[in-house]
Amino acid sequence: MAGFAAILNRYSTALQISPLVITLTLFLVGPVVVIIILSLWKFDGFMTLDGVWTFKNYIKIFTRSLTVINYLETLKLLAITLFVTFILGFTLAYFLVFDIVKLRTKMLLFLLCVVPFWTSAVIRTVAWIPFLGSEGIINQAIMGIGLSDQPLKFLLFSEFAVLLSYIQIFTLFMMAPLFNVMARINKDLIEAARDNGASSLQILWNIILPLCKPGIAIGAIFVIALVASDFTAIRILGGAKVGTVAASMANQMYNVQYPPAAATGMILLLAVLLLVGGIMRMVDVRRQL
Amino acid sequence: MKEIQQKKTKKGLSRRGMLKGTAAVAGLAAGSTIGGFPTIWAQDDLEVRTLGMAVSNMPQLEEMANEALPFKVKQTAASIPDIITRGLNQPKSADLFEPPFMTMRTMWPSGKFQAWDTTKLPEWDQVVDLYKGPGKIWPDAWYGDGQNPSTVGYTSGIDSRDFAKPGSTKWITNHPVLHNADTLGIRPDIIGRPIESWKELINPEFAGRAALVAFPQIGLMDAAMAFQANGEIEYGDKGNMTQEEIDFSIDRLIELKKGDHWRALWSTFNDSVQLMVSGEVVIQSMWSPAVTAVREQGVDCVYQDLKEGYRSWSLGHMIPKHIEGKQLGAVYDYVTWYHSGPAGAFFARQGYYVVTWQNTKKYLPKAEWDFWFEGKPATVDIYSPFGKKMESVGAVRDGGSYKNRMGRIAVWNSVMEENEYLTERWNEFMAS
Amino acid sequence: MRENIKRAPGYWPRAVLFYFYLLFLYGPIVIILILSFQDENASLSFPMQGFSIYYFKEVIDPQYIGDFRWPFGRSVILGLISMVLTMGIAFLAGLAFRKNFRGNILVFYIVVASLICPSILISLGIGIGFANLGLTSQWWSGGLGAHLSWTLPFGVLIMLAVFSRLDPRLEEAAVDQGATKWQTLRNVTIPITLPGLVGVALFGFTLSYDEYPRISNVAGEFNTLPVELVNALALAATPAIYAIGTMTTLFSLAVIFSTFIIVYFMAKRRQGFGLKKT
Repeated sequence: MAGFAAILNRYSTALQISPLVITLTLFLVGPVVVIIILSLWKFDGFMTLDGVWTFKNYIKIFTRSLTVINYLETLKLLAITLFVTFILGFTLAYFLVFDIVKLRTKMLLFLLCVVPFWTSAVIRTVAWIPFLGSEGIINQAIMGIGLSDQPLKFLLFSEFAVLLSYIQIFTLFMMAPLFNVMARINKDLIEAARDNGASSLQILWNIILPLCKPGIAIGAIFVIALVASDFTAIRILGGAKVGTVAASMANQMYNVQYPPAAATGMILLLAVLLLVGGIMRMVDVRRQL
Repeated sequence: MKEIQQKKTKKGLSRRGMLKGTAAVAGLAAGSTIGGFPTIWAQDDLEVRTLGMAVSNMPQLEEMANEALPFKVKQTAASIPDIITRGLNQPKSADLFEPPFMTMRTMWPSGKFQAWDTTKLPEWDQVVDLYKGPGKIWPDAWYGDGQNPSTVGYTSGIDSRDFAKPGSTKWITNHPVLHNADTLGIRPDIIGRPIESWKELINPEFAGRAALVAFPQIGLMDAAMAFQANGEIEYGDKGNMTQEEIDFSIDRLIELKKGDHWRALWSTFNDSVQLMVSGEVVIQSMWSPAVTAVREQGVDCVYQDLKEGYRSWSLGHMIPKHIEGKQLGAVYDYVTWYHSGPAGAFFARQGYYVVTWQNTKKYLPKAEWDFWFEGKPATVDIYSPFGKKMESVGAVRDGGSYKNRMGRIAVWNSVMEENEYLTERWNEFMAS
Repeated sequence: MRENIKRAPGYWPRAVLFYFYLLFLYGPIVIILILSFQDENASLSFPMQGFSIYYFKEVIDPQYIGDFRWPFGRSVILGLISMVLTMGIAFLAGLAFRKNFRGNILVFYIVVASLICPSILISLGIGIGFANLGLTSQWWSGGLGAHLSWTLPFGVLIMLAVFSRLDPRLEEAAVDQGATKWQTLRNVTIPITLPGLVGVALFGFTLSYDEYPRISNVAGEFNTLPVELVNALALAATPAIYAIGTMTTLFSLAVIFSTFIIVYFMAKRRQGFGLKKT
């Protein structure tokens, strides 16, 4: 028994990290290796030719203009979503941390933000249609007040609708890390600054924001991951008129064009890794964590 | 009155009658002796699991199957891409897959499925000639562009990967189940004038109020029908276009998109219904049940018969390679039951055609047969299998008779040789 | 006695924004709620047709569209399993990361990669992997794995943040007092990291319960709720999905609030009623 405990002790770190490593090796590294292999096989228009190696799938990606268009569109959606979710998420976290005093209320309000996620995102996305459609609530209201005599068509089946649903669903992922980080800011720091005559704005800019950097970084990573790989919202609310990389890849997958889809996906993964790596370089998330 | 109609189909095929029938087939298919047949099935926890589209995998049908057959039937619904992906990557996850015929060039050569032996299928003779040598239901029917189902229906052996000449062997790749003829759906009340040609889809009169289905192959073909009808181009084979033809079509689509012609591209059934009901769109690619759904909400919608013909699709059952023995026997039984009539009536009432119309006829009351198949004005109120009233006395089915619709196929849903190029350019269309 | 709380400047705009955000979040849910009470001629949009519980009956006793009861159950169970496993694995990983073991940067990047890798590719990869091994993936095997690859990054990142703020002196003090490793773990480490663990649990369950793309290819014969919903949407347009939305929302609200009330009363009891607590 003592020997067993001793072994546990000696290899404790290895034992502690192994469940994570094993799970991710099986269900991330493994699949990615499969996908890389798949992306290097030939596709003849109908099916994948197993074992026939080629770089053609990658060459195609780098030699056509569609790639650039798709990435620009993805970046555009990403930039807008990051910006809005940051402003919104930061303000909401600030409110919960600094403006609400009772812990109980903080928890309650936070939970209220989480509960909608237990209603399927698919249903929630579909529910935008009665809201934004030509005969939907918003248009009825606008025409009723007389702001316009034609329904606003851009509200639905457009980038606007997709962005709206992104902001609705992804703000929480920006807010939660910020909430976490803000709550741990030492209140004494703020007190001291205030005592020295700093205004709220100065405190915000010089103390709170810098200390929130790891939270901002993590939130950004979450949002990037979610936006870059979404295609469901684009299908349902974009009227399939919005062309991001993920949407193109999904189209290829749906048409059973696995090798081209795999190649598109690998490049996307690489691109996002680079972006995230850049963020982690600016904010040493690993060390701050 | 509708209850009587529905009860009739259920009583039509008694369990005992079915058992007798399946005994013979089971014996043949499984190669086992017939003696003790019902007990054999009952002892084994035999189950047939199918994976197909929601149109052919629904609770009521599953119930019918379970009542009629001595083994358990479990149906699961999935989207077309899921059916294909699961069929190819997880073939053991079901006993029968129901892919559409347009995917056959991908599904069959994969080697993951086994062929059906038509000599062991009692109902094979009843299957229409569309899937056999002639490639059409009636001698004077149109053959249609694109991938005619008969061309991918036959193969040379039980586990070969090729396609044989239609009607030349006893081995079939995919046992057909349903087919239908698709066209454009319109809002006649808003449009206010007769629509007779596919070219109306791109008519500037409907700018901003037209929609296409988002699946590249199908959407492109609908567009192609419109372009050709409008005299802009003459395709060699609308179901298998050259790169130049694809370029022309996509460029035209992009041009229309920039002119705000398309309100949306719909990818879920739900969207297509919504667009019509709200009147946001007045003419669009549409599927038959969507038209029904729109009508059920009291909105006027017509599945318009057009002079250039229809776009048709078909789906059917494929057996994964690993199925054998008693399981294989059960699968053959299931499919035999499927085509013996009751299921046919069930589908007919939703506007689809099961491929064995003579058996369907036995299970449909004459008044309904006349409405759904003969295209005659209804002499009774027409109800869906779920009890909803669909048409009143005097109404005529959109497009009329079975022959008028399935006999005038302009193009079949197909996957083209230039599929990859098509998808690329379609992505461009989406991103433009 | 209620103190006069001094509101920081900008309080009211922030408060308004917060409650507006809640409105924004719950808006679609309210619409789902309203539209689920239509009668059988209903559409998926306004104007509303009739008022009845027809679609609730449809969900409980399915006729036309799929049976959602089993998928719902599966999603809940899968969510709970994911939650428990994520909590355990992330907690252990958090402990390990504290010691800066060899290769910790590589593991960290793998975790981040798991987060950002496109979900449908992972689904395809797992499916092909299973197929090549001659196995069939099911929701509790390949499906669970797919979900873990999604929830673990969230869990691990949260745990890393929590552990980095954990003052090691607290644990040292316990050891100085004679506590064994296990006792320290149980009485010091876990209670302090508990809020973080609760966060991981919340994310773990929620992310799994509602996940679609990663599991789409590997759910096996039996669908989870999101898979079933997407299939239903693709092939039918029935407000039954709104009824499902309403029912699941009410269910989750009930679970949350009963948990909240239980925890509240337990906490109160432990401190004795009447004592002040923040």
